[in-house]
Amino acid sequence: MRRTSVYIISLFAAQISIPAISQNSEIPVDTVEVPLKIRTALEISGPVLYFTDKNILNLEAFVTVDLDEKKSLYLGGGYSDYSYSQYNYSFLAKGSFYKAGVDFNLLRPEMTEGKYWAGGGLHYGLSRFTSETPYLKHDNYWGSVSSSLTEQKNWCHFLEISGGFKAEVLRNLSIGWLISIRKLIYTGAAKELRPIYYPGYGDGGKTLTYGLNYYISYNIPFKKIKVYIMPEPVEESEEDEENQDNTNNTQIGRQGISR
Amino acid sequence: MSKKLLYISLLAAAIVALLLPSCTPGSCFEETNAYVKATFYLESSGKADAPDSLTLLGIGRDTGAIYIKSRNLRQALIPLDASTEGCGFVMKINGVYDTVSFTYTTYLQMLSKDCGYTFYHTIDIPVYTTNIIDTITIVKSSITTFSEENIRIYY
Repeated sequence: MRRTSVYIISLFAAQISIPAISQNSEIPVDTVEVPLKIRTALEISGPVLYFTDKNILNLEAFVTVDLDEKKSLYLGGGYSDYSYSQYNYSFLAKGSFYKAGVDFNLLRPEMTEGKYWAGGGLHYGLSRFTSETPYLKHDNYWGSVSSSLTEQKNWCHFLEISGGFKAEVLRNLSIGWLISIRKLIYTGAAKELRPIYYPGYGDGGKTLTYGLNYYISYNIPFKKIKVYIMPEPVEESEEDEENQDNTNNTQIGRQGISR
Repeated sequence: MSKKLLYISLLAAAIVALLLPSCTPGSCFEETNAYVKATFYLESSGKADAPDSLTLLGIGRDTGAIYIKSRNLRQALIPLDASTEGCGFVMKINGVYDTVSFTYTTYLQMLSKDCGYTFYHTIDIPVYTTNIIDTITIVKSSITTFSEENIRIYY
């Protein structure tokens, strides 16, 4: 997980550094036309997994609006219905969640042609949900005590960093995947009765959760922009430098001979 | 180039999916009972000292004792009854009987997904007889599953 975080942070660092380098570069030599798009995406693994495990239903969708060839505004939301049961308790949680943030495309515009996206995003998440414990049992020397917790409404706030890939496989239709790491910021639930699951966030017992989601999205192009392609900085190779040194030496030598 | 990118991405997604741990239920390895952790001290020296013999049983619980003539027990784990606000114990230290009664408030505590819930307590000053026990002092009134001293029994 630490490696993934480092990778994502590196990608962001690369994203920030690219314009800085470009500004110092030479005059643009070419332009490429990039279509800006509104992407409406549906998460497909949640409903698929529900058929194998009826205890968890995750429905999620998002919309991204391209701000330019690199950045896009992200708005997401979903609904989650979770149930868990074991020998000494059962637990239910359901509710909706909302996410907002910015996504960054790290691919070069001339490479993507508006069809590919590989990058990351930073999102703020908010979950509004109800949880209850219909049954719990505790055994000790004095015997068995059964109890329950009635339905309670709670909030949960979290940060999400995601990274992944999307590709347009048919005209205006993309598929892609995103791996996400979430950090719990705040929960309104009482500390001693913290829910074991937060819709949109995941395992309530962990301050960091992660997930892998697969998306299918429909893309609506709304504008085309021209993006200047900066020339690649020409790096002098060691061979060139050596050749140049040899030439200089030869010249000195010749000069020496001529004397 | 573009198709190559797509294939690389799909391969990466498949690898990541394989690396993710499966969602199988875990097992509980935590302490799930909140005991009153009682340490024994010699009244004469004021130092921690395990009694030669300790027998402990709950008043009203006919079946089974918590400890029977246990030797070299520096810390006794005393379970409280979560269904009531008080419970009592017969404590036999080095062959001499005493009774100790606790009153407390009880609240639910979620331990973890694997372990579920337990009951925590906040105890008041215990009431006890003084045949061999000299005093009982409270060190920490919150009775939890953490390993921390709650009361000191001077005898």
